[in-house]
Amino acid sequence: MAPEIVLKDATTKLTEYEATGGYGALAKARAMTPAEVTEELITSELRGRGGAFFPAGRKWSFVPSKEQLPKPHYLVVNADESEPGSFKDNEILSRVPHRFIEGCLITAHAIDCDKVFVYIRGEYSGPYEILVGALEELKDRPEIRGNVTIVVHRGAGAYICGEETALLESLEGKRGQPRSKPPFPAISGLYASPTVVNNVETITTVPPVIAMGGAEYAKLGVPNTRGTRVVSISGNVVNGGNYEIEAGTSLREIIYDLGGGIAGGRELKAVVPGGSSTVILTKDEIDVGYDFDSLGQLRTAMGSAGIVVLDDRCCIVQLGIRFSEFYEHESCGKCTPCREGTRWLTAILRKLDDGRATQGDLDLLLDVCDRINGKCLCPLGDSDAIIVASYVAKFRDEFQAHIDQGGCPLDGHSSLDHVLAPVQMHAHSPAAHGPEVRA
Amino acid sequence: MTPNLYEAIQAERGKYPAGSESAVLPALRLAQAEHGWLSPDVIREVADALDETPAYVKSIASFYDQFHLAPIGEHLVEVCTNVSCAVVGAQQVVEAFENGLGCRAGETSADGKVTLRAVECLGGCGWATIVAVDHHYRTHVEADDVPAIVEELRGT
Amino acid sequence: MSAPELVTVTIDERAVQVPKGTGMVETAAAAGIEIPVFCYEPRLGPPVGACRMCLVEVEGMPKLQAGCTLSAQDGMIVKTARTSSQAAEGQNSTLEFILVNHPLDCPVCDKGGECPLQDLTFRYGPGSTRMTFPKRTFEKPIPISPLIALDRERCILCYRCTRFSERVAEDGQLVAINRGAQSVIATFEDEPYVGHFSGNVTELCPVGALTSTQYRFEARPWEIQNVPTVCGLCPVGCNTTATTREGKVKRILSRNHPEVDEGWLCDKGRFAYAHLDASDRITAPLRKAGPRRFEELSWDDALDQAEQLLRAGGASTVTALSGGESVEEAYALGKLLREGLGANAAVLPEDVPDWGDAFRAPLSALRDARTIAVLCDEPVVERAPIVELWLKAAQRSGATIVYGAPGGSVDALVTDDATTTVEATNVYYLPRTPNGRGVADAWSAAGDGEPLDAEPRLLLISGDEAATDPSVRALARHADAVIGIGMFQESFRGLADLVLPSTSYLERDGTTINLEGRLQRQRRTVLAPVPDLLAWISKLAERFDVSVSPHVSVVFDEISARCFGGITFGEVGERASLPPRAERAGTPPPAKEHVAGAGLRLVAYRPLFSGAAVDRTPELQFQRPAGEVQLAREDANARRIRNGQTVTVSSNGTSVELRARIVRDLAAGTVRVAQHDAGELHAHVEVEA
Ligand SMILES: Cc1cc2nc3c(=O)[nH]c(=O)nc-3n(C[C@H](O)[C@H](O)[C@H](O)COP(=O)(O)O)c2cc1C
Ligand code: SF4
Ligand code: FES
Repeated sequence: MAPEIVLKDATTKLTEYEATGGYGALAKARAMTPAEVTEELITSELRGRGGAFFPAGRKWSFVPSKEQLPKPHYLVVNADESEPGSFKDNEILSRVPHRFIEGCLITAHAIDCDKVFVYIRGEYSGPYEILVGALEELKDRPEIRGNVTIVVHRGAGAYICGEETALLESLEGKRGQPRSKPPFPAISGLYASPTVVNNVETITTVPPVIAMGGAEYAKLGVPNTRGTRVVSISGNVVNGGNYEIEAGTSLREIIYDLGGGIAGGRELKAVVPGGSSTVILTKDEIDVGYDFDSLGQLRTAMGSAGIVVLDDRCCIVQLGIRFSEFYEHESCGKCTPCREGTRWLTAILRKLDDGRATQGDLDLLLDVCDRINGKCLCPLGDSDAIIVASYVAKFRDEFQAHIDQGGCPLDGHSSLDHVLAPVQMHAHSPAAHGPEVRA
Repeated sequence: MTPNLYEAIQAERGKYPAGSESAVLPALRLAQAEHGWLSPDVIREVADALDETPAYVKSIASFYDQFHLAPIGEHLVEVCTNVSCAVVGAQQVVEAFENGLGCRAGETSADGKVTLRAVECLGGCGWATIVAVDHHYRTHVEADDVPAIVEELRGT
Repeated sequence: MSAPELVTVTIDERAVQVPKGTGMVETAAAAGIEIPVFCYEPRLGPPVGACRMCLVEVEGMPKLQAGCTLSAQDGMIVKTARTSSQAAEGQNSTLEFILVNHPLDCPVCDKGGECPLQDLTFRYGPGSTRMTFPKRTFEKPIPISPLIALDRERCILCYRCTRFSERVAEDGQLVAINRGAQSVIATFEDEPYVGHFSGNVTELCPVGALTSTQYRFEARPWEIQNVPTVCGLCPVGCNTTATTREGKVKRILSRNHPEVDEGWLCDKGRFAYAHLDASDRITAPLRKAGPRRFEELSWDDALDQAEQLLRAGGASTVTALSGGESVEEAYALGKLLREGLGANAAVLPEDVPDWGDAFRAPLSALRDARTIAVLCDEPVVERAPIVELWLKAAQRSGATIVYGAPGGSVDALVTDDATTTVEATNVYYLPRTPNGRGVADAWSAAGDGEPLDAEPRLLLISGDEAATDPSVRALARHADAVIGIGMFQESFRGLADLVLPSTSYLERDGTTINLEGRLQRQRRTVLAPVPDLLAWISKLAERFDVSVSPHVSVVFDEISARCFGGITFGEVGERASLPPRAERAGTPPPAKEHVAGAGLRLVAYRPLFSGAAVDRTPELQFQRPAGEVQLAREDANARRIRNGQTVTVSSNGTSVELRARIVRDLAAGTVRVAQHDAGELHAHVEVEA
C-alpha cells in the first residue's frame, strides 16, 4: 500500500495540523516565485483528479500574466462532487480541511490570485461546516492567509455544476449550463477573467507535492499516472469507504484487499471503475492497474475514482435505467441531444425491462447512443450514451434475454428492481407538466 | 422581508464583485431557511433585494433541486436512490419511509411534519444507504432503522 | 485601423478567404454553402452552441464541432453535411431529437410555410419517427402577454427568446425555468411579459412557439404580401415590412437596417397598427354639428368650406404641426398656406437644432463608443426605444455610460437638450416626434415670408398629436375657427369646425427624416379608406392658384432641390444611407440650467406606450407604465428606500403613492414619473419610504 499523503494526519484543528508540519509547504512555496511553484507541479506530473485528468501545472501555466491581460485572476475549486460512486472530496474536506486550504493558498500564489472560490455542492452541509470552521481559525492568522480571500460558495443541487464551465456560470449566479469552449477558463473564466478550476483532491495534493518536491512525488505511481489517488469504494463490498492508493495498484487488490471483497459471500458481476460516467468492466477485467494507461487499454478511465462494485444480483438493464435516469434528471437542458436523448434512452431501457421490447428496440437503443455520443455540448450527455452502449457491448446476452424472455431474467430479484429515481417524481416546480412516468 | 434577511443578503452580495449576480444562490438559500420554501412572494422579495427581476430569480431557483418552489413539511428526508445505495437496499428504505409516513416519495406526510424525497447520489456511497435528514447525513441506514427515524421526526 | 488578416478556409473542398475569426456559418456562406442553424443568431451575443443543428466535421478534430461556435483559422478544412457523412449523420441526429417532442402540427401553425424547422425537416429530416413514447405535453397555447402566445409543445429550446430578453433588451422578463427535459420558457408566475421590445421574440423564434396574438390564424404565407417601409411612430424610423392580406395590415416585421435598428422593433412600432381600424377613424370630412358632435359632409362641400375658412383666416392663419407628417405632406400644406395665403406662422412640433447635422453618425456607431454621456432627462427608451438598445450594446461591450453632465470629453452624447460644454465626437439629438426635423425642413422650404405677429384668426391643426397637445388646444380657444386634419374623431371633438381626413404612415408614400438625419422612404402598404392628403391639398391649392402636385415624387423633387441636394425620390433607397455631415450650422445654445430647488427634480415623462395609435390598440394597454417612481441608487440609499417598496412622492401639499424602482439610467438628484402618474406634482419633490 502507498503512503498516505493526502489523507494522512487527519485533523480539523489548526494547531494539530501545524504540529505535523502543516502550512510548511505554503511557507516554502511563498519563498519561491509563482513560476517556480508551477514548474514544481509540472515536474510532479500531478494530473487533475476531477475526471479529465489534465496536468495541473500545465493548466496553471496557461493563465496569462497580468501584463498580457490586465484582469484579476481567480482560483475556483471544484467541490461539487456529485458523480454517482464518488465521495472522496467529501472525506478530504472533512478530514484534512487545512491541507486543502493550504493547497488553495499555494495555488493562489502560483497563479497570482487573491480571490479563491470554493464551489461546494449544496448537500455537503457537514464538510461545509468543517471547512468554514477551519477558515474561521485562520481569521487571526494573517501571515497564513496572506492577501488571499477564500469564499465558500454553496451549490444547490445540480450535478452539471461539476462541469467546470457550468460551475462558473452557476457561481456567477446563472443557470448552471455549460459554456461552449473555447475560450477556456484559463483565458476567460469566472467574470470573463483568467481562472484556474481544480478539483478538491488535486488542490489537496499540492501541499505534499511542494513539501516533498515534484521529482520525489513523481517517483510514486506509474508512467502517466503519478502519485496517489483517493479512491471511493462502494456497492456490494464489505468495507465501503475511501482509500488512498498508489496509482497503478490493481483493481482486484482495491476491491478485495481494501474493500474486503464482495459482501454477503456473493459473486462479483461487474465494476464501474471511475464513477457512473465510466465504461463498465466485467468480473474478468479487474486484473488491471488503477491508472490512466491500463484502464485506457480497456477503453475505460479512472474518472472521479468512484469504484462501484456490483454483485450477481444486479440486472445490467436496470443499471442502465438507473444511471440513464440520473443523466436525464441532471441534463441541464441546453443542448438537444442530451436533453432529448437521455430521456429517450431511459424510455427504451424501460421497455426492455418491462418485457415489451423487440429486437428492433435493441438496435434503436444503440443507434440512439450513437446519435448522442460526440454531439453534445459537454460530456454529460455523451457519458450516458457511452456507458449504456458499454453495457450492451459487455452484457449483450443479458439484454437479449430481456427480449427473449419478455423481461428481466432475475425476475424481481435484481438488486436494482423498481428503484425510485428522482426523475420519476413530480418536477419540483408546479409550472412543469412533465410526463408522468411513475407507474 | 425582514430587515435581518435583507441585510444578510446584502452581506452575501459583498463577497462578490459589484454588479455580478453571484449572490443569487446564497440569497435563495437564506430566504428558504427563513421561510421554509420559496413562494412567489419570497422570490419577488429576493429579486428586489438583489436588483434582479422575479423571473430571473425563479429561473435560477427552478434549476436547482434543493430549492423548494412548493411548500414542504417541517422536516425533510432525502433518500439517495442512486446505484451504490440502491444495490444495498435504498429502495427498501424509501418504502419503509413511505409506510411510516403514510405518503409517497415526493409528498409530505398528512400531518405536515415530514416531506420525503428520493434524491440523486448524495456523495456518501461507501456508507450506503445515505439518508439526509434536514440536510445532515445519516449513514448505513437500513429499512429497519426507519421507524425510529420517523418516530424521532414526528416527536419534534 | 489596419486591414483584418485574411485567412483561407476550405469548406466542402471550396477554398474561401475571410477575415480571421469570422464565424464558420458566415465563412461557409461566403463559399456559397449553408450551415443550418436554430440557436445561432449573432445579434444575440456570442454563440451558445445549444441546438447542435450546425454540426460539421473539422479536419484534425476527433469529434463533430458546432459550426456556429467555430471561427475561421488559416488552413482549416471543414466538411459540412454535403460532403461528410459524419456531419450529415450529426445533423440528422439533431433533427430527430428535436422532432422527438415537436408536435408537427404544421397545418394549424402560424409559422407553417415560413418555418426553418419545417424546411430543414423537409430537406434533411427522417422520413418517419422512431419515437414510440408519448411526447411531452403542455397546455397550449398560453398567453405570455396580450400580445404574444406561447406554445410550449412546439418550443425547441433554442433559447433565442430568453437570450433576447437577457442580452439584448436586458429586461429579465422571459426566462427558462426548470432543468433538462422539463425546461420551459416562462414569465414569472405567468404574469405578462412587460417590456418595450417583447415582440421581437416572435420573430426570433425559429418555430411557431412564440406567435403574435394579433396575427394568429390571420393569414398563411402564400396569401400575403410584404411591403417594405419605415416605422412612423418615433424618431428612430426603424425599417419594417408590413405584411398585408386583402388590403389590411396583418403584422409588422423588422427589416434589418444594420445602422439604424439591427432588426429590432419596439412593441409600439410592431403592434400599434391596429389604429388603422380604430372605431373613431375619420373616413369622410366632418363638420361640427354640436358642441361634441360631428356630421359628415361631401368632399366637394368640405373643400368649399375649407376654402371659405382659409380665405377668412388669410395671413392670420396659424398652422400647428404634429411632426408625424411626411416631408411631402408638410411641404404641400406649407406651400398652400404660405404661398396661397401668406400664412407663414406655424407652431412646429419641436425645435430641432440644425447643429445636429454637424455630427451625423449612424446609431450603430454608439456600440463602438467607449464613453457615452446621456443628457436626456426622460428615459431614452420612452423617447427613442432603439437608441436604448444601442446604449445597452455599448455597455455590454465595455463602454462607460454616464447619466447627467459628464466630467470630461466623451465619444458620444445622447441628448435632447443642447449643450456646448461637452466635447463629443458624435452627438445624437433625440427629437420628440417622428419627423420633427423633416417637418421643420419642409415648412421652411415651402415659403419664405415672415409670420404675422397676430392672434390666429384661423387655426389649422395638422395631425392627432397636435390636436391633443394642451398648448395647441389653448391656442384654439383664441381662434375664430379651427380646421383639423387627422385620423380620429376623438382628437378633434369639440375642437375643430371642420375636419379633413388624413392617413397613417402605413397608408401613404413619402419620406421622413429620423434622428440621425437619415432621409427614409415610407411606402403605402395598404390603401387608406380616405383619399391621399396630397390629392386633396392639390385640389384645394388650385383654388388659391398654388401649384401642388398630387404626386409624391414630384413634390419630393421640388423639396429636394431646396433641401436635399437634388436627389430624386427614386434614389431614397430601401435601406437609406446617411447623408454626409453638414458644415456646422451655428453653435448650439448653452446647456439648460436646472433651477435648483429643495428635494429631487421631477421629470414627468411621456411614456412610449401612449398617444393616438397606442390608445387605439387594446392589446397594448397592459404595457402602460403604472404607478412607478424611478430613482437613482444614491438617492434611494440616502432615503433608505429599497427597490420595490411603496413610497410617497410629495411636493407642496400634494402627494402620490408609487412603487420605487431603482434604475441605473438616471443622474442622482432626479426622479422620474410617467406624466399620467405625476398628477399635480411640482418640479421638485421629496420621496419618502
Ligand atoms: C458532467 C460533469 C461533471 C463533473 N463533475 C465534477 C465534479 O463534481 N468535481 C470535479 O472536480 N470535477 C468535475 N468534472 C470535471 C470538471 O469539468 C473539471 O475538469 C475539473 O474540475 C478540473 O479539475 P482538475 O483538473 O483538478 O481535475 C465534471 C465534468 C463533467 C463533464
Ligand atoms: S420559444 Fe422559440 S425562440 Fe424561444 S426557446 Fe423556444 S423555440 Fe427557441
Ligand atoms: S448537459 Fe447540457 S449540454 Fe451537456
